[in-house]
Amino acid sequence: MFEVRPVAEGHVKLAGRLDAAEAERARPTLTALTGSVTLDLSELDYISSAGLGLLVETYKRLHAGGHSLRLVGLLPRVRNVFGYAGLDRIFTIE
Amino acid sequence: MERRFPRDNGSLPAIYAFIREFFAANGIDAGRAWDVDLIAEELFTNVIKYGGASQAPVALDLTWAAPTLTLRLRDPAGGAFDPTQAPAVDITMPLQQRRGGGLGLHLVRKMTDHMAFIREPDGSTITVTKKLVGDV
Repeated sequence: MFEVRPVAEGHVKLAGRLDAAEAERARPTLTALTGSVTLDLSELDYISSAGLGLLVETYKRLHAGGHSLRLVGLLPRVRNVFGYAGLDRIFTIE
Repeated sequence: MERRFPRDNGSLPAIYAFIREFFAANGIDAGRAWDVDLIAEELFTNVIKYGGASQAPVALDLTWAAPTLTLRLRDPAGGAFDPTQAPAVDITMPLQQRRGGGLGLHLVRKMTDHMAFIREPDGSTITVTKKLVGDV
């Protein structure tokens, strides 16, 4: 089960599992994001390479437009996956 | 403990449930299942990706000999792709210079202790082992 919930302008919450089955469902919402964005991952239980790929796409698109993508509230196990992928040095993670 | 799953991403929730069932049956802390979910997802989606047009279900087998978990994925379609030979992903490169793909197997390599691939006339098998030690 995965949910993507806009909570305010430029602030979106991801919850549940962002896996290969759910990444496509999340894509339209993330593709529609503009400007600098904060993603609240405090309720994201799980992310795999499919989910990371979607966030990388979003990061590249926003970054190319001069905007930022900030990730906040990561659970340790989710943060570990970013670390294994070397993405903890690329994303702004707080 | 083995179960077969249709080769579709829609099988993933059933795979996670199977892993939790196995953990419960063997008294393994469920908090350790998340890493195993990820390993299973990456290998399963890889098998689907390289399995051509086959409709044959993929068998997932889990065995436990504390502290080592062994996960086997058997694909009767026997794709030729050997995940142990996939090129490494250089995660130190800037994002724009990284080649696409390969991140899933990179994660599996980081999160397991050993990975092997066998291709036989009646299918192929990927086997990984992971010691479930340390803090959850």
